[in-house]
Amino acid sequence: MSSDSATKQARGKEDPGGSGRAPETTRGFGNRWTALGLLGMTAVIVFLVSLEFREMWRDPPIYPGPGVTGQGQLSDYFPGIEDTAADTDVYFLEGEEAGGTALVLGGTHPNEPASSVTAITMLENAVVTRGRLIVVPRAAHSGFTATDPQEGYPQFYRIETPTGTRRFRYGGRGINPIHQWPDPVIYVNGSGQQLAGPEVRNLNRSYPGDPDGYLTERLAYAIVEMIRQEEIDLSIDLHEASPEYPVINAMVAHEDAMDLAVEAALLLEFEEIQIAVEPSPENLRGLSHREWGDATDTKAILMESANPIQGRLRGATNEALIVEGADPYYQRAAEMGLLYVPFGEEGSPIEERVGRHIQSVATLLEVLSFHNPDRAITVDGLPGFGEVMEKGLGPFLAPPHD
Amino acid sequence: MTLIYQGITLVVVLLIGWHMLRDRRLTEQLEAALVLLPLILRLLMIK
Repeated sequence: MSSDSATKQARGKEDPGGSGRAPETTRGFGNRWTALGLLGMTAVIVFLVSLEFREMWRDPPIYPGPGVTGQGQLSDYFPGIEDTAADTDVYFLEGEEAGGTALVLGGTHPNEPASSVTAITMLENAVVTRGRLIVVPRAAHSGFTATDPQEGYPQFYRIETPTGTRRFRYGGRGINPIHQWPDPVIYVNGSGQQLAGPEVRNLNRSYPGDPDGYLTERLAYAIVEMIRQEEIDLSIDLHEASPEYPVINAMVAHEDAMDLAVEAALLLEFEEIQIAVEPSPENLRGLSHREWGDATDTKAILMESANPIQGRLRGATNEALIVEGADPYYQRAAEMGLLYVPFGEEGSPIEERVGRHIQSVATLLEVLSFHNPDRAITVDGLPGFGEVMEKGLGPFLAPPHD
Repeated sequence: MTLIYQGITLVVVLLIGWHMLRDRRLTEQLEAALVLLPLILRLLMIK
């Protein structure tokens, strides 16, 4: 048989009718049934992983303590985020005596767990006797519904309480891209700062926000509106950063809040908390410590603690690293003098990070009240840093219940 | 914008499904199934 006739015979098998359509591939162990089987398996896998991903859409319960006197939504201040994934719970703790108002914002970056856990611990323990405390535990609510890609982060972490286990979500740095898409190549925020495209979903680059902008900008606008409408005297934005980041275990203060932050930092030394005070750079736009202070009359302060799971030097990326915070590679980096915080074998456990935040917030409120007696805010029931370090965080979280 | 994105994703999902049914190579079908997984999750706006 000539090679020409063999080729014609093969073509005949592929396209017997000579229709000219693309031929089906004939070589291989598959057929239509294997294809259908694989499609079925794909559907089953999609269904199963959907259950897992959708689990992150459910808000783990918060158990407001006796000091919580009211609850609202952020969209109450700006309806432009109503019925969106950005809308979030706002809790009010109001004292019997009139005084000032302070805001504690947790969960701006849902991959910084001590931030929202601090806000939740405050909600479940604080009793305000004078003035008012407003607490937002999940500021970037949408960001809690997905982790950052290619980081291998766990979806949840657990903290043991004396009578049960509390489960919290570990989210991503920005708003979930299924809620805001697409990212531009370059993001120019409302203050004219040029940033990398994905920063368009970063709440703490979007202040003071835009009522007609991206979802993240509308969220930022709603938060600034809340500060304006509630006439908040002191606004604290809780964060964490990787141990190799220079601004760590620090307060970043707007110039209007600088005196307050410095005095609080001095007092915190008595509690064995060393905390740096950094001025909010005037040319770094879009961040809470800059824009809240410029756009409103509030004293704006951002706080950072050391979170090893965010860092690039970390080893095993798992729940233990979030909660226990021990990592041999960070320990080695500290020995080599590469970090900005001490990092020993004990690591940077979540009780230390949350304890620092709570103590720092309490001290800031004390200093504010001392210098502004008519706008004083007195809060009881908050655990101190030493107490949290001694007993752990569990005893200060409400046990899970219906 | 999101609807356009979902429309494009749907077309790609259908084309890959059609390719799976036409192609007799098992490895090619397996690869197509792997590609379909994230695309379907995206189409349904789950992940």
